Amino acid sequence: MLEPQPLASFFKHYEMKKLSIVLLASLITMGCGRFSNKDEKQANEQRIVCLAKQYNEIIFALGAEENLVAVDLSSTYPPEIKELPTVGYHRALSTEGILSTKPTIIIHDNNVGPEQVMQQMEKLEIPMKVFDAPGNDIPSTKDLITEMGAYFGKEEKAVAINAKIDKEMALAMENLKDYPSRPKVVIIHYGRASNIYLTMTSGSNAGKMIEWAGGEMAIDGERGMMQLSAEIIAKSNPDVILLTDFGYDRLNGMQEVKNLPGVSTTKAAQNNRIFRVEEHDMVYFGPRTGEIVMNLQELIHKNEGL
Amino acid sequence: MKAFNNQNKAWLMTMLVLMVVTFVFSMKLGAITITWEEIQSTLSKWMSGQEMNLQERIFFQIRLPRALAGVFVGASLAVAGVLMQALFRNPIVEPGLIGTSSGAAFGASLYFVLGAVMEFNAGEWTLPLAACLGGTLSTVLVFLLAQNRSSGKSSVVALLLTGIAINALFLSGVGLLSYLARDPQARSIIFWNLGTLSGANWISISIIGAITLICLLVALRYAKPLNALMMGEDEAVFLGVNLKKLQIIIIALNVLLVAVATAFVGVISFVGLVVPHLLRLMKGSDNRFLLLGSALLGAIMLSLSDLASRLLLAPAELPIGIVTSLVGVPVFIALLRKKQYFF
Repeated sequence: MLEPQPLASFFKHYEMKKLSIVLLASLITMGCGRFSNKDEKQANEQRIVCLAKQYNEIIFALGAEENLVAVDLSSTYPPEIKELPTVGYHRALSTEGILSTKPTIIIHDNNVGPEQVMQQMEKLEIPMKVFDAPGNDIPSTKDLITEMGAYFGKEEKAVAINAKIDKEMALAMENLKDYPSRPKVVIIHYGRASNIYLTMTSGSNAGKMIEWAGGEMAIDGERGMMQLSAEIIAKSNPDVILLTDFGYDRLNGMQEVKNLPGVSTTKAAQNNRIFRVEEHDMVYFGPRTGEIVMNLQELIHKNEGL
Repeated sequence: MKAFNNQNKAWLMTMLVLMVVTFVFSMKLGAITITWEEIQSTLSKWMSGQEMNLQERIFFQIRLPRALAGVFVGASLAVAGVLMQALFRNPIVEPGLIGTSSGAAFGASLYFVLGAVMEFNAGEWTLPLAACLGGTLSTVLVFLLAQNRSSGKSSVVALLLTGIAINALFLSGVGLLSYLARDPQARSIIFWNLGTLSGANWISISIIGAITLICLLVALRYAKPLNALMMGEDEAVFLGVNLKKLQIIIIALNVLLVAVATAFVGVISFVGLVVPHLLRLMKGSDNRFLLLGSALLGAIMLSLSDLASRLLLAPAELPIGIVTSLVGVPVFIALLRKKQYFF
């Protein structure tokens, strides 16, 4: 009924060879980028692995990055942070991976996973630290900076950063008087899939920043992000559309964004008020939030009355 | 094992040796460098009950369970693949076909999204329990719905088609849940659906190991009826096979194997499909040989995939489902293109 085939002839099959070359090539390219960063801090006594982007920006702002040996993949600000080794995506961590960076402490904000990996690290009694302040609005972000300042022994720097935030936020509120209009804003995140747009809502951190910048979020919602159809975008008819870096860059700028279904009919497209924002500026609060709000003020009121 | 000729025995012995070699590599290599001396001292400290240092505890509590997980999960998925392909007499069947893994994925997603508001809570065992229950429920559903109303029997084709339909239903349930989910929950669902062995611990390993061994032994008892079934349902009945009983036992074994393995490590695709095929290419389709051989080859393949998943991006980690598919798909396509291949 059937002739058993020797395995050798199967692997000799020329297609198999071609496929394995393609496979090998793709695996090698995956080894590039931040994953291949080398750890250059050998001599330090304290070795910190920090798995939260908000914390990491504050660590750098405090000037406490000296003992930071590895971060998660989503921590992208400031630019120097990209020179550190990464332990991967913060919800797909591996115990051995993290421990191979020989941390003396792991700092995270509870937005980490998978669960079993966190349990393994607890069982191994690896010291872990979560700061108390949730950092989800300006007062609590300042509390977080104070807390982290005390933790890293950079109290003075923390006071200075908080003063800067207060000053810049006050300035931003002051500037609002020069902008009488309240443009409606849609923020599109990542890009799109078959005319579904992942948008940030009024309940998100970005929504709060837009409000402080004197704008109004066109999409209401408590959850941080929503997937919306092109029709909803068209119907909300925003005055301004902001795209986060990834989506904007992939579309090579404003002209292509303007042609997207749903976007093309909006006032934003007609008046050339489509702009690029950095994702890491918009998704959490930190030392630069005042600055960012002022930049947003300028951005969302640009090309007004054209 | 009188039934095996010397050639088959030689194949099985070779694979056994290969499996042991792969296991040793999988135990030795990882993001953290562990020396032979450390392995030795860990084992001697474990025997004498002495306190271990951090390096030894990493080996004992993380590396070793993980290496064993590769062996047991690989074996159980591949054995389940042999059973399903034999029962359905169909080469494209994989263990998840009758709804088990999509049901498990649905159970896990339900936990990720609604876990906080659900009454049901069993601590760290909640997720595996939810997945295991989901997998069992969906399979029972397939089996009940596939029964012919008048005769109370279910034909193999009806089972197959009902399985495909229920799979689609549960996968869209997973889709709905990830749509409703907040961002971090949605990411948890995505990563769970790609599988990982990184969470293995001694308790999960004992459960998976026991289930795998018991199911393999029971399955071997039914290898002959499955061989008879290959000639056709009517012919098998004529040869004295109780078709209904066989179906129930094989499906129960499959649910146990797949639901338990999936519950602990997430969805891992292609192992159950490809491993039995590779063996058929080598040695034909006697189910007795296929069951033992698949257990060994499945263990080898998953251990190798896990090595890749932990070493390629170290210290980060690649989900193992990506690796098995990357390896599995080309092999499978090459198989399909091979015209002389008979099931």
